[in-house]
Amino acid sequence: MLSIQSVSKNYGKNQALQDATLSIPAGSCYGLVGPNGAGKSTLLKILSSIIQDYTGKVDMPKPEDIGYVPQEICLEQTLSAASNLHFFGRLYGLRGKELRQRTEEVLAEIGLSKRGKDKIIEFSGGMKRRINIGCALMHQPKLLIMDEPTVGIDPQSRKYIFDMIHQLIKKGCTIIYASHYMEEVETLCDHVAFIDHGKILQESSMDALLQQHVTPAVFVKGQLSPPSKLAASDNITEKNRGHLITTNQPLAMMDQILHHYKNDADKLEQLQLVQPKLEDVFFQLTGSALRDKSS
Amino acid sequence: MKAMLILELKKNAQDRGLLFWMIILPIAFTVLFISVFTSGVPDADQETVILSIVPGYTVMFVFFILISMVNTFLKDRDVGMTARIASTSLSSIKYLLGKWLPYMFIVWIQIFILLAFGKLVYQVPLGQPWYLLITSAVLAFSATGIGLALSMLVHTENMGIALTQVFALGGAMLSGLWMPLEMMPDFMRIIAHGLPQYWAHQELQDAMNGTLKLSLFAKATAVVFAYGCIGFLIAFMRYPHFLKKARG
Repeated sequence: MLSIQSVSKNYGKNQALQDATLSIPAGSCYGLVGPNGAGKSTLLKILSSIIQDYTGKVDMPKPEDIGYVPQEICLEQTLSAASNLHFFGRLYGLRGKELRQRTEEVLAEIGLSKRGKDKIIEFSGGMKRRINIGCALMHQPKLLIMDEPTVGIDPQSRKYIFDMIHQLIKKGCTIIYASHYMEEVETLCDHVAFIDHGKILQESSMDALLQQHVTPAVFVKGQLSPPSKLAASDNITEKNRGHLITTNQPLAMMDQILHHYKNDADKLEQLQLVQPKLEDVFFQLTGSALRDKSS
Repeated sequence: MKAMLILELKKNAQDRGLLFWMIILPIAFTVLFISVFTSGVPDADQETVILSIVPGYTVMFVFFILISMVNTFLKDRDVGMTARIASTSLSSIKYLLGKWLPYMFIVWIQIFILLAFGKLVYQVPLGQPWYLLITSAVLAFSATGIGLALSMLVHTENMGIALTQVFALGGAMLSGLWMPLEMMPDFMRIIAHGLPQYWAHQELQDAMNGTLKLSLFAKATAVVFAYGCIGFLIAFMRYPHFLKKARG
């Protein structure tokens, strides 16, 4: 278990992080979600030992066991992919045969085995992102800290990165994944913390968080009016020329709707189970959507 | 630290701008100014002029390394490389040394090339080669030490370039690298005695002429070396602030 307790950090009068407390289970993929300027990067810099003048207690592995993937593409553009991996491998203490072997392995892991000798400047944005991640994997860290690793990349590279992350999780690597893309965090992470204005709003396992804050719903669109019993209820709202019905028993509700349309099946256009989403939780906690905050 | 050394040497080996600032421009200036100042001058006096200009312009252009140093440090800071390196177990002192030593080596090579050019083209003497070797090394240490401090102090590349001009051109003028110190007012001569360029020029000139005395060598080397040490000390103290400004 990795933990931070009551960590605060100021930049002059601006309090970037206020009394942040987190517990990160070993082997988990831990999502850190918040809008730009929320304090995510400050927290990650503290966790990766870049910022050392903070107050509070941080219980983390040694720097040798941590891999840090910054938001920026920190690679030497005029050097080859292999040279960049070599450089970080050396910084992490790898030498000789081990260094060469790990370089080959990492190039294979990031899917660029045949392009090791090409200069970074010749790669696409997505490939650069993969090399950026690869540099942090050279020493096979126990903890990988990733700050917005998929910013500005194509869907194929994103999928490649997700597959890499899944492989790392299988191998037992703990991952801290900071992003303002809710869908990514929802897909990858089993634990999540919301951060805004430098404060941790809530942290929990993903399932518990979704269950605690969001009620499942059923969306129905058809030519019949909703059942009269439902129509009078507060749980039904109009949406996209249909109705959204929130309920703790969505399957039973779907059954009820199907029964309602039993004799007019051709008039039912759409019936859909609406799963709780992380963005809805964030909305509930902050009163505003993430993309509103980012802009 | 070795990783930093290798990376910086690889990067600099590909930097054609560095070749221009460090070798081509000083050679062009040396040739130009020697032809201007020796035109119509008797042969005996020409030797004196050449013996002043070759080491003088060598010392002056050594300080242009400051531009490259500032550039590389600020670039690393702004693209997130500094922060990323700080996240590894590499200590700040090893980071600074790893970035510094390649530049020291480059400047040492630069001095060697410029003096060799003087020897081959203008037949300047290299009377005391051991003194020249040590003086060159200490000058390389000092100039790059100042470069290191400057890199940690400035906020922008333009500020770095401007201050490099002040160090390189202002220091050259005040230290008698452009014209004999005897022709300058008293207050400027006093200032010159506090500048590394003046002492390095005196050492190189005398060592080339074969007349460098041990006392001057020791005194001049101490002054020039002290500048390098102070530069490193400032850089080391300033590094945490530099890291705070780093992206990533």
